[in-house]
Amino acid sequence: MHMADALIVPAVAGTMYAASTIAAGYSIKKIKEEDDLKKVPVMGVMGAFIFATQMLNFTIPGTGSSGHLCGGMLASALLGPYAGFLTMIGVLLVQGLLFADGGLLALGCNVWNMAFYGCFVGALLIWRPMMKKGTSRGKIALASVLGSVLTLQMGAFSVTLETLISGITELPFSVFVATMQPIHLAIGFVEGLITAAVLIFVNEARPEMLWGVGTEAKEGKLSRGWTLGVIAVIAAFFGGVVSHFASAYPDGLEWSMEKIAGTAELEASGSAYDAAANIQNTTSLLPDYAFQSGNGGTSFSGIVGALVVVVLVVGISVLIRGFKKKTSTVKA
Amino acid sequence: MKTETLKECINIEHLGFSYDTEEPVLRDVNLYAVKGESIGLIGANGIGKSTLLKLLVGLDLNYSGKLEIVTHPMVKENVNHIREHIGYVFQDSDSQLFMTTVEEDVAFGPLNYGLDKEEVEKRVKYALSKVHLLELRKKQIYKMSGGEKKLASIATILAMHPDIILMDEPSVALDPKNRRVLINILNEMPQMKLIASHDLDFIMDTCERTVLMDDGTIIFDGPTEKIMHDREMLERHGLELPLRFQR
Amino acid sequence: MSKIEKNLREVKKLNELQMRDGILNGLHPVVKLVTTILYILALVSFPKYQVVPCFVMCIYLILLFNLGDLSIWDGIRRMKLILPLVCVVGIFNPFFDHTEITRVGIVITGGMVSMITLMLKGIYAVLASYILIATTSIEDICYALRWFHMPKILVTVILLIDRYFYILGEEAGRIMAAYKLRAPKQNGIHYKAWGPLVGQWLLRSMDRAEVVYESMSLRGFRGEFTYAGRKSFRWVDIAYLVFWCAVFYLLRYTAVLEMLGQMFI
Repeated sequence: MHMADALIVPAVAGTMYAASTIAAGYSIKKIKEEDDLKKVPVMGVMGAFIFATQMLNFTIPGTGSSGHLCGGMLASALLGPYAGFLTMIGVLLVQGLLFADGGLLALGCNVWNMAFYGCFVGALLIWRPMMKKGTSRGKIALASVLGSVLTLQMGAFSVTLETLISGITELPFSVFVATMQPIHLAIGFVEGLITAAVLIFVNEARPEMLWGVGTEAKEGKLSRGWTLGVIAVIAAFFGGVVSHFASAYPDGLEWSMEKIAGTAELEASGSAYDAAANIQNTTSLLPDYAFQSGNGGTSFSGIVGALVVVVLVVGISVLIRGFKKKTSTVKA
Repeated sequence: MKTETLKECINIEHLGFSYDTEEPVLRDVNLYAVKGESIGLIGANGIGKSTLLKLLVGLDLNYSGKLEIVTHPMVKENVNHIREHIGYVFQDSDSQLFMTTVEEDVAFGPLNYGLDKEEVEKRVKYALSKVHLLELRKKQIYKMSGGEKKLASIATILAMHPDIILMDEPSVALDPKNRRVLINILNEMPQMKLIASHDLDFIMDTCERTVLMDDGTIIFDGPTEKIMHDREMLERHGLELPLRFQR
Repeated sequence: MSKIEKNLREVKKLNELQMRDGILNGLHPVVKLVTTILYILALVSFPKYQVVPCFVMCIYLILLFNLGDLSIWDGIRRMKLILPLVCVVGIFNPFFDHTEITRVGIVITGGMVSMITLMLKGIYAVLASYILIATTSIEDICYALRWFHMPKILVTVILLIDRYFYILGEEAGRIMAAYKLRAPKQNGIHYKAWGPLVGQWLLRSMDRAEVVYESMSLRGFRGEFTYAGRKSFRWVDIAYLVFWCAVFYLLRYTAVLEMLGQMFI
């Protein structure tokens, strides 16, 4: 469910980076307050562990296919929401860099869609309330499945929103949502079961390793306030965005152009749009309709210019290759 | 302050230790070691060798009795200072080497102790040359062989200029060649060494003095030559004669 | 070859690329990171009908793939994870957007153009990231992140993940191989083994984390890594950054292509 760079515009990427940065800043503050030096190596090794477990195949009973572990819920049940969140940021960054799973620009989105929901919602709203009176197999299983399904649904919904707001796709909201949510329902369910199996094992072998078991009294009011805050922020985010989207959607394309895209794009696409709508003189091949906008390029001269530039660069590259070969053979 | 005249390295009297409420792991351990000594620590599995090593570097402070490292009592306030004097080479090199390249890992300790750039560089060079890894300084740790990693672990300790080096099973998973290299390097090192190992042949090649532990206490403390020939004593405490004496 | 082995080989390969002595490898990591991000920013900000200048953004890739001696196929192969989503999102554009752009025998609609633009963005962004990671180690990227004042604790965690990913990845490979040898007809881990198999491994990893922590604290670790100062900017670094900024600006915000084209018509 990793978001790709291509699916978002800079404004959306920036917003999500900002949101994720705030959550990360808060987490770092919390971790520093805890002042537990051991957390750092544990986060590092756990991050690597989650990364590595993502490569294991788990057979789904009754089907021929296999599922995987994403780890947000697992990380927060073991490390708590704050350390878990920072760990997942690390995992997502390294994953994006090494395996091109998610992009540099989309990292803010990915951190929010996967780490934030998985760790904050999963740990604070589901895991801790359910474990405050101690653990049991059933409770762990329920919390894991519920947490994975819910946070993955939120993540998938965010992917949909981020893409639609970016004005990348013409896919209607309803169709997009109807595609994304059910797929992730199944994925979340399987992930929840795997997480449950692992956590139940840990609970039986070393129960002290689980986070937030029977600790409600410790933080008391503060955590409740924080929990409510999280709910409020999420509700505001979804409420605002969804209602905005719903009310503005009828003129979909224009809406996304005007509201979201920067002024530069607005100018260009606006004129392209007008021009395209006005085009009737189909006799001319490739009319210069976008030229007057000053940054079109979808015109005949633009295409010629493009070809010239690309050919030139390819030429230079061939020269570089040739030159390199020469020097390497001289060296040899 | 480290001075040449300082002789005493380890001074343990009536040391006891237990995890939580369990049976004591160590009881009435007495050990005195001075500069330049090389001591083998042998004994069957799970009789407290590793625990003893961990207490010596202050990884757990809930002991009873007397424990002094280079004349400093092992208490919370002294721990950081003591750790400048004593280094610990873990059994698993991969857990010990957590940075990306050898030189970064070797520089980790000196940097943390706030040394300046030139001094850190000097120490990295010194430590790596001592273990003959200077030419591999830029190498990434995950690409190194088991033997190289073991030597690199030792270098990370040497860079701290310790007086004492503790080692936990240094010869495990080394091929014969790397094992010989390690033995030579250890024998060249002037520091006081305490080497915990099941590998009695390795102890014979590196230590003139050996301590045999069983049931949380020291059974024998004397010349390596003597204990290694004492089949009866070794077998009574769950060990066997060194391979070279077996037939 | 198993999936794990493939992934590990890929990382190994990247690592070897990063360690080479190339022009790109030698550039300052901050400059490389900034240029890559600016490239992707400029790229994704192209309006959806501006397919031609968007296409021309490939000059960055062509030049750097050649300068860096990188294989374009290795870069393209990395599309496999992200391409499905991009395709799903883009493939429907032609069905929904019938805005007429132009006619070349047949009507070219906005949907077709925006689909191509989207595909180009997807491919280019992945290739640009590939250029970065194939010429810059994670450490160097972390150095750049530190330069931008990313908190030390996060950088440290990233470095540790990078260091231990490989060890745990190999462990995962061994676990999977040992499992498969005793369960030859399964293509994954049986649900009864989910908990114990992953759980034991998790406990082992936690024990390892404990030793890592001990090893750190024995060498003076007080919560943050101390980093030695490094690299200063050279003229080449500045020139590289300025040059690409200019190129991105020209392509994105001016009609440079039309002006060039008119010189040739």
